[in-house]
Amino acid sequence: MASESKMIMLRSSNNEVFEVEEALAFESQTIKHMIEHDCADTVIPLPKVSSNILAKVIEYCKKHVTSPKDDNNELESFDAEFVNIDKNVLFGLMSAANYLNIKSFLDLTSQALADIIEEKC
Amino acid sequence: MAYSFPEEVLEYVLSFIKSDKDRNAVSLVCKSWYEIERWCRKRVFIGNCYAVSPMIMIRRFPEIRSVEIKGKPHFADFNLVPEGWGGYFYPWVIAMSKAYPMLEAIRLKRMVVSDECLEMIAKSFKNFRVLVLSSCEGFSTDGLASIAANCRNLRELDLRESEVEDLSGHWLSHFPDTCTSLVSLNIACLGSEVCFSSLERLVSRCPNLRKLQLNRTVPLEKLPNLLCRAPQLVELGTGAYSAELRPESLSNLVNAFTGCKKLKALSGFWDVVPLYLPAIYPVCCGLTSLNLSYANIQSPDIIKLVSQCQNLQRLWVLDYIEDSGLDVLASCCKNLEELRVFPSDPYELEPNVPLTEQGLVSVSEGCPKLHSVLFFCRRMSNAALVTIARNSPNLIRFRLCILEARAPDYLTNEPLDAGFGAIVENCRKLRRLSLSGFLTDRVFEYIGKHAKKLEMLSIAFAGDGDMGLHHVLSGCDSLRKLEIRDSPFGDQALLANAAKLETMRSLWMSSCSVSYGACKLLGQKLRRLNIEVIDERGTPESRPESCPIEKIYIYRTLSGPRFDTPNFIWTMDEEGNSPLGIA
Repeated sequence: MASESKMIMLRSSNNEVFEVEEALAFESQTIKHMIEHDCADTVIPLPKVSSNILAKVIEYCKKHVTSPKDDNNELESFDAEFVNIDKNVLFGLMSAANYLNIKSFLDLTSQALADIIEEKC
Repeated sequence: MAYSFPEEVLEYVLSFIKSDKDRNAVSLVCKSWYEIERWCRKRVFIGNCYAVSPMIMIRRFPEIRSVEIKGKPHFADFNLVPEGWGGYFYPWVIAMSKAYPMLEAIRLKRMVVSDECLEMIAKSFKNFRVLVLSSCEGFSTDGLASIAANCRNLRELDLRESEVEDLSGHWLSHFPDTCTSLVSLNIACLGSEVCFSSLERLVSRCPNLRKLQLNRTVPLEKLPNLLCRAPQLVELGTGAYSAELRPESLSNLVNAFTGCKKLKALSGFWDVVPLYLPAIYPVCCGLTSLNLSYANIQSPDIIKLVSQCQNLQRLWVLDYIEDSGLDVLASCCKNLEELRVFPSDPYELEPNVPLTEQGLVSVSEGCPKLHSVLFFCRRMSNAALVTIARNSPNLIRFRLCILEARAPDYLTNEPLDAGFGAIVENCRKLRRLSLSGFLTDRVFEYIGKHAKKLEMLSIAFAGDGDMGLHHVLSGCDSLRKLEIRDSPFGDQALLANAAKLETMRSLWMSSCSVSYGACKLLGQKLRRLNIEVIDERGTPESRPESCPIEKIYIYRTLSGPRFDTPNFIWTMDEEGNSPLGIA
């Protein structure tokens, strides 16, 4: 019955620290398991995720955690815009989604890459 | 900055890529993509069962869950492929029974499937779900009984237009009481009566049943029994649509149909008694597909039906619809995408119904979404074809069958070259074309020049000589399947375009002017093709080399000559020698 959300600290590969709410961090199954099994200290190191990628991942999770459940259209257009990005950034997001184990994010980025591949085929 | 993915991520991305074409392209990117792709491919389509062997398929794709395989050439539908030609499913099922224990779906077209094959399917694949046998033959209702009895999770059993040795209708009773998984059941091609109470119970216990196509023997009086047990049906094929005229028959039927709120497709309609047609009026506005190709009803009744089907996308109908009916179709069914008009009396040379090219012109005018046409008629004009081409630039499939061979433009007596020329010039997306009527080499010049997306071409009784074939082979960049009958195409064009043949799935030529000598030459030149000479007059070695052979079927293959050829087929070998096969 916490009235205040616990804050989690995430450290990117280039040593930048991001503070996020637990609910948001728990979108990542990897982080969730680390915390629940007491494998992490105050700061969770994410050596495979650079800060610009991590910032975007946090942006995605924030949107999905805070949006009302029934607002599918808004989420859909947010998602579509979100992956309308440079290919290298997309690859980075995919790797992060896989490493952090955020299924919906992996689905979104994978589908985006699949769409690009199909277009080229 | 280049990221390198873990393999599992790439594999995950690939799982979103479903189409064969895209998957094939992906596998060509580099060796590691080839490897990843082949390990996660679940579905494979084999357009010619002799193009590749079961072992090759299994070696490359170890995790297949669904296969689709085609056997005989398309002209088998017109009885041009002799009995015993081949297309046996047996070697495939033997190999797959060992390699793919988790196989879920088998879809076959024009293949020979024995009861032994069906038994093998029933006992080898524990999670088997889908069996679609399209225009297949070689099995009996005993084989179906095996499937029914053993495939616990069967979802689809679809026998479309197969030739089944119908020993009895009792096979249906072999579905155990525990079978509740059926989604689709198509037994329309069966002749004998199925046990109705078994059918009724089966339908009752399958809540996900969406598609049910009955055979002719299921009486109309019993249809309401089935419909009220399956109001969730999306596609229905009725049995015979006639009954004894009893007062409650019609109202029962109306109530039953009214209860089917999700019905989108109707077919069946053998032996129609028009009095009962109003029973389907309540569902007409929801229909997207209507197949009246067995319905012996006349234009006024057809019009009454069609005018209520504003959402119709597909109509298959006999020429009883007449031009007047096609006019109504054109004005009422603005979403029409596919039209097939079949001849009620194909052997009668004189027109038995007022159905002409005008009907097709009307539909092309009124239906902007029309993309697929199969039209049997008795007369055509260049003017009509030009108009159709102008009205329907988005045509993908255009198959015109003028019943009389070599019939010219009925207005001008000219060949129909200009008309078909207009079709290929305007319809840039055309992928399939069937020609008919009086045609010279000129039409092939147009086709070679314009039909760049054409994948399948059917030619009958057309052309003047080799130039025609040469235009097609040299011009049609996307050509995959070419089938020709009774046309004066011979050696020159074939030999000049031999390399093209390796880029195609297959070439069929019958009653043309291809000599045995040319076949031998082709066999020498083209290693990755099977050149199969089909001649029921006995070995071509017994006749001069310049003598034309009856039929030839040429297809590319990775598997070399096949070993199941009957004694009237000779495969040309690489040495140009006496061919493999039994003399």
